Order: sequence, then C-alpha cells, then structure tokens
Amino acid sequence: MTQTPTIGFFQMLPLECKKLKRTGCLPAVVLCGLFAAAFPLANMLVRPEAFTTLPGDPLSILADANWQMIAMLNILLSICLCCIMYHTEFADRGIQKSETLPVKAHLLFLGKGTILAVSGIVVILTECAALGFCALHWFPAYTFDSSAAFALLKFAGFQWLMLLPTMLLMLCIASICSNMWTSLGIGIILTFTIYVFPQKNLLLGLLPFSTPYHLLSESVSADQTLLYPAACAAETILFALCGAIYPSIRRYHS
Amino acid sequence: MNIIETKNLTKSYGSFTAVSNVNLHIRKGTVYGFLGPNGAGKSTTMKMFLGLTRPTLGSFQIDGKTFPNDRVAILKEIGSFIESPAFYGNLTGEENLDIIRRILKLPKHSVKDALELVGLTEFKDRPAKKYSLGMKQRLGLAGALIGHPPILILDEPTNGLDPVGIHEIRTLIRSLPEQYDCTVLVSSHLLPEIELMADDIGILNHGHLLFEGSMEQLKAYAHENGYPTDNLEQTFLALVDEDNQQLLRKKIEKRGKRS
Repeated sequence: MTQTPTIGFFQMLPLECKKLKRTGCLPAVVLCGLFAAAFPLANMLVRPEAFTTLPGDPLSILADANWQMIAMLNILLSICLCCIMYHTEFADRGIQKSETLPVKAHLLFLGKGTILAVSGIVVILTECAALGFCALHWFPAYTFDSSAAFALLKFAGFQWLMLLPTMLLMLCIASICSNMWTSLGIGIILTFTIYVFPQKNLLLGLLPFSTPYHLLSESVSADQTLLYPAACAAETILFALCGAIYPSIRRYHS
Repeated sequence: MNIIETKNLTKSYGSFTAVSNVNLHIRKGTVYGFLGPNGAGKSTTMKMFLGLTRPTLGSFQIDGKTFPNDRVAILKEIGSFIESPAFYGNLTGEENLDIIRRILKLPKHSVKDALELVGLTEFKDRPAKKYSLGMKQRLGLAGALIGHPPILILDEPTNGLDPVGIHEIRTLIRSLPEQYDCTVLVSSHLLPEIELMADDIGILNHGHLLFEGSMEQLKAYAHENGYPTDNLEQTFLALVDEDNQQLLRKKIEKRGKRS
C-alpha cells in the first residue's frame, strides 16, 4: 500500500465519470442538446421563408437566427452540470473523503472540467448537426461537401471555445460554494446580468457568460478572428488554474 | 516505537486556541483512545494529521514523515473516519468503496473484504443516501478499513450504531493491531468502550493534553491525585472537572488583576 504511486489525471477521469452516476448529468446533456437542436428545426418549420429569402451563407443565416437561444441553453446547461457535479461532492461530504485520500487536490477539479468540456463538445456538435440539417433541407443551394463539413466543424470548434470560459468560471464558483443553491443563484444572476450588457462593447463581449453568444461570422466580419479565441483560451487557462489551486488554499486556511 | 508523534502541536482560529501545545506519543501496533469533552480539540488534532487543516504552531511526524512535505505519502498510510461518514450519496456502498479502492490501487477483492468486515455485503447495491444512520456509519468505517492501512484514525466511529453494532466495531478495532499490525487512534464519548479497547489513552480538555499513558498509569495517576479510580468514566470526569475549575480560577484572577 505504501509503495504504490499516486493516482494520475487519466486514472482520476473515469472515477469522476463514475461519481456522476444517478445524478442526471448525462440525461441533462442529451436532453439539452436535443432541445437546443430542435430550436432551429422548429424555427425553419414555422417560418422558412423568413430565412430562405435572405442572401448569404445558409449556415451564417441559421446561426444568426438561432444561436442566441442555443447559447443561452448551453450556458444554463453548464450552470446545472457544475452545480450537480459539486453538489454530489458536498452533499454527503464525499469531497472530505477525497481530501483524506492520497490524491492531488487539483485532479478533482481538472477531472470535472474535462467532463464539462466534453459535454460541451457533445452538445455543440448536436446543435451544429441540426444547423447543418436545416441548411441542407431548406436551402437548395447548400451542398454538404467536404468544405461545408469543414466550415461546420470550424463553427462548432469556435462556439465550443467561446463556451469554455463560462463553463470553467461556473465550475470554480460551484467548487467554492458548498451550497448548490448559492452557486446556482450566482450562475443565473451572472447569465442574465451579462446578457443585458451591450454585446457590441468589445470589453464586455469578452467576459465569460457573454462570449457564448458571439458568433464566428461576427469575428470574421469585424476582422477579429483571433481576438475572441485568444481571449477565451486565456480565460479558460486562468479559471482552470484558479480552480486547481483553490482546494489547496481552502485546506491550508481552514 | 512511536508511529505518531506531535511536538507542541497548536491550532488557533483567530483568538480561539482549539489545540494548545499538544505532545502526543502513539505507539506502533496499539489502540490509542483519544478522550475529551465536545470542543476539546480531538477532531481538530485528527484533522491536522490528515492534512485537512494546517497546524498554527508545532509539528507532527507520522511514521517518520512530516506534514506538509509528505502529505500524500502520509495519506497513503492512513485510513480515516472523521466526525461523520463521508461518501457519495448517489453511489451504492460498493461503488463508493470501489472509488477508494481505485485511488489506493488496491486489488478488486478488497471492496468485498471491507463490506464483509463491517457487515454491509447484503446492502452493497443500495444507494448510500438510502442507508440508515448505522449503515452509513459502517460504510464510513469500511472506507477507512479498506486495504488494511497501517494507521487508522477514527473519530467517534460508533456514533449512531446500536449496541450490537457498537460491540462488533469495538471487537473489530481491538483485533486490528494483532491481525494487521495496525495502529489505531480512536476518539469516542463512550468511555466504557475506550476502556475495553484502548492500550493507551490521551485526555484532552480545552485544547490541553491533561494526561497521556496506559490505563494502569492513569489509575496510578488518579490514585496519587485523589481522583476516583473505579472506572475510566469517573476518573475522566474528575480530571476534566478539576481542569475546568483551574481554568475558571485563572480567569477570575486575571479579571481581578485588571480591575
């Protein structure tokens, strides 16, 4: 027992997945993905002429019309997942048991962050598939070839990167607040407070909870292709570091 | 040989000192009963051993390792149960123990062994949140005992157990040093239980260590100082009461000097 090396990140990850059993996280990801994906479909079913008559790239038209709602759902899903993930830790003091085991304190946060990021990929790919389907079905000029697939994946990757800072900031908040309702409240307040900020303001637009609404086409048209991804990557790294360092600080100062 | 040793271990929260200059000496392969009224500092001391809180002053050694440099190495040697059972309510008893098993890199059968040891095999597939208080307590104990760690730190392990359960756990704890060469640090309010299972005892009151030694040494000490020696409970109450009165006298003297 004393000779064994400490558990690493890739061994901790399956344990973090196991901890989510019976929490409703997986159904939440699937349902949110499907619900968000149904939004552009419903929009196109109800008023197709409002979009098919518009000039430009079908994918951009669909994203412009639907992404605000989809991004809002993605943010709300992130909040719920973070709250559930840490609620399982705090509710019956599972986190204290983890702290008395030979595990590096930051692995718990990074494991949860990775699961969250993967959930983001699943949800955004589902939503992008729905956008692709709508473009293919309702826009006769749109053909799904390799360049269209690449454009769709590029869009998905961009929107995922825009969502990451929000996810990790929310995970930090959930890891700090032992009461799930506190972190849920903070998340909801941040969502609606930042939503009313003017999106055109560059500085406010770069804040977490605001970046998920930002579209790839907006970056391209404003000649800021790299600004948003760079800012989101920096914010993601910052929040990941904060979340990873915080457990040690909490333990030493308790 | 002492497996756990503390040197002037102190923990303060602002102006309140929870543990004050405590020097413990826990011999390898023994059961050490840690006694004290509520708020005496027992749990805080145990939490410091597990790295859950940092000492304000002083230091401790566990199997020759020091905190905080060897925190992870120390935790590899300790099975613990602090204050109340800690688990994931959404997971079954077996799944909870499997997480601990994987972290400790133990063989698969150790989960089954631990469940059997605490009598939870029958309920292993039930989500832990649906367990009764006694079953949760047993699950917490199984989490501490899994893999037979060389050191066990148990804070009130018999809380919430029925008399049969208390007897089972007491017998189990008593057998551990002999069976697995395990050292047990156990705190309990049930003094007769400690009397039956501990080789050595430490009595803590208001963060101060009032006594440390074997049961025989305690009896001799009590006899010398005119405390009752009939049973541990009587001796303990007399010791704590005397200490409380001394503290009260000191406070009154201080106030007198100020005025």
